[in-house]
Amino acid sequence: MATLVASYHLMIRALRESRRQPGVEIQNIFIPLFFLFVTVGAIGQISGSAFGVENYKGFQLPVAILQGTAGTAGMGGFGTVMDIERGYFDKLMLTPAPRLALVLGRLAADAVRVMILSTIIMLVGLVMGAGMEAGIAGAVVFVLIAGLFGLAYSGIGLSIALRTGSVQAAQAGFLVFFPLLFLSPAFAPKEVFSDWLEVLATLNPVTYVLEGLRSLVLDGWQWDKLAYALLSIAGLGAVTLSTTLLALRTRTA
Amino acid sequence: MPAILTEQLTKHFPPDIRAVDGIDLSIAEGRIFAFLGQNGSGKTTTVRMLTTLLRPTSGRAQVDGLDVLSRAAEVRRRIGVALQEAALDDMQTGRELLHLQAKLYNVPSHGIRNRVDYLLQIVDLEDAADRLVKTYSGGMKRRLDLAAALVHQPRIIFLDEPTTGLDPLGREAIWHYVKQLNEREGVTFFLTTQYLEEADRLAHEVAIVDRGRIVAEGSPDELKASIGTDVVTVRVPGEDQNAARAAEVLARVDGASDVRALEDSVVVYIKDGSTAIPAIVLRLSEASIPMREVTLSRPTLDDVFLRMTGHHIEVDRPVGRPEPQRSE
Repeated sequence: MATLVASYHLMIRALRESRRQPGVEIQNIFIPLFFLFVTVGAIGQISGSAFGVENYKGFQLPVAILQGTAGTAGMGGFGTVMDIERGYFDKLMLTPAPRLALVLGRLAADAVRVMILSTIIMLVGLVMGAGMEAGIAGAVVFVLIAGLFGLAYSGIGLSIALRTGSVQAAQAGFLVFFPLLFLSPAFAPKEVFSDWLEVLATLNPVTYVLEGLRSLVLDGWQWDKLAYALLSIAGLGAVTLSTTLLALRTRTA
Repeated sequence: MPAILTEQLTKHFPPDIRAVDGIDLSIAEGRIFAFLGQNGSGKTTTVRMLTTLLRPTSGRAQVDGLDVLSRAAEVRRRIGVALQEAALDDMQTGRELLHLQAKLYNVPSHGIRNRVDYLLQIVDLEDAADRLVKTYSGGMKRRLDLAAALVHQPRIIFLDEPTTGLDPLGREAIWHYVKQLNEREGVTFFLTTQYLEEADRLAHEVAIVDRGRIVAEGSPDELKASIGTDVVTVRVPGEDQNAARAAEVLARVDGASDVRALEDSVVVYIKDGSTAIPAIVLRLSEASIPMREVTLSRPTLDDVFLRMTGHHIEVDRPVGRPEPQRSE
């Protein structure tokens, strides 16, 4: 209980910090929307004949969401690095708040930020005509899955931040996303990939998150795809949360 | 039971840095204790171990009777800490920062508003309470940091170089709050400092630390009395090894218990310094060593420091240098 209460207060503090730096959030929305427009503009006309995807806007919408998520959550470590550099992280460590709360508060704030960002990108996608086959409930699940992915993903930047205390290193949390995205069926279905790329995409957890989100937009309720998406997020979260807690321990060694 | 107790407290960093090297301390409740030393002497490392931020390599430490390793969470509940350089979150207002601090220390919700208002008042930050911390001057940040350390009414407070970089007014303000809390509420203070004046004016007890070891300990008066002599300082031109030659000559003056050569001066510890000065001047003249100035003084903590460590204390930034100008 103490962990949840302290996490809540720290989440509110992190969200307040974000609200006071709107420029960072605008950038996280602008870049994925830019790529969404450009990609749809470039490939949207031929996607049906090239690889059988008629609704390429809907096909690309989850990619934009994940890009925005990685931008937001990947920068999760940045705030922590700033706290470390200013010494404020030590001040938090000196309170009786459970150490887990110091991590969960930041992760929860990232998840909330991701859900707000995802809602905005999704609404732009809907205005563009991407559609949402799973309806309003599907849109809610879509945003929740994005939030959970953000929660799990922000652990990468956070663990790097705690381990190194370096701004540059923490930004790697965002950079790690690009190979993961390009090794997934981000631009075309897996079936049209070369064999080696299909193997890598099958091993890539981002693939399942993308396919889960995409199923809500293009197909409606595909429970198996949603289950795989949640399992991938749980696996990624288990790894990133463990590494984050280990990194936190090393700060008191 | 001492408020703070350490036995052979040690911290080594790889490959072979002995930051703290077997420190024994016993600090009674309600005292102001100053840990005096220059940068790199092990002060901050000691504070970080005592406040549970750093695990000792060996030895043990208790705060308020609790072991800092096995009962770290309880120790954190009972102490207040203001770290070096006012460790604050620039993107919160002063009031928000204190409010969060109170929440994390489980201060009952109904009492938080009053407690925060009271603290803002005692550190004179009521008018700036709703401004972002990044707009505060260095002195205001220090005062807010002190208020944050007090939010849960701890009985033991650690202050790591609380006045480094502050102007004289800022320093006076911090000293005033520390004295007030100690006298009125019996709060125990463990403060580290590189300022002799701070240790002399504030502390009931002082430990001089050098290269991770305590080299002298006692009240400021006891430490000064331990010198047991007057201090005669002779300034000489810095060139031609004048100081070293002068030290050699003056070591033979009757009554000189110790002589230290510095870059451009020689310090002579000698009984009844006023009557010894003519002999000192005569010896130096006979040895053709030029003199610029001869002064006689009672021992200060600086003399104690010099006597115990062989060098004067070096501070980061000269005391009195103005902090960046920002409106309060």
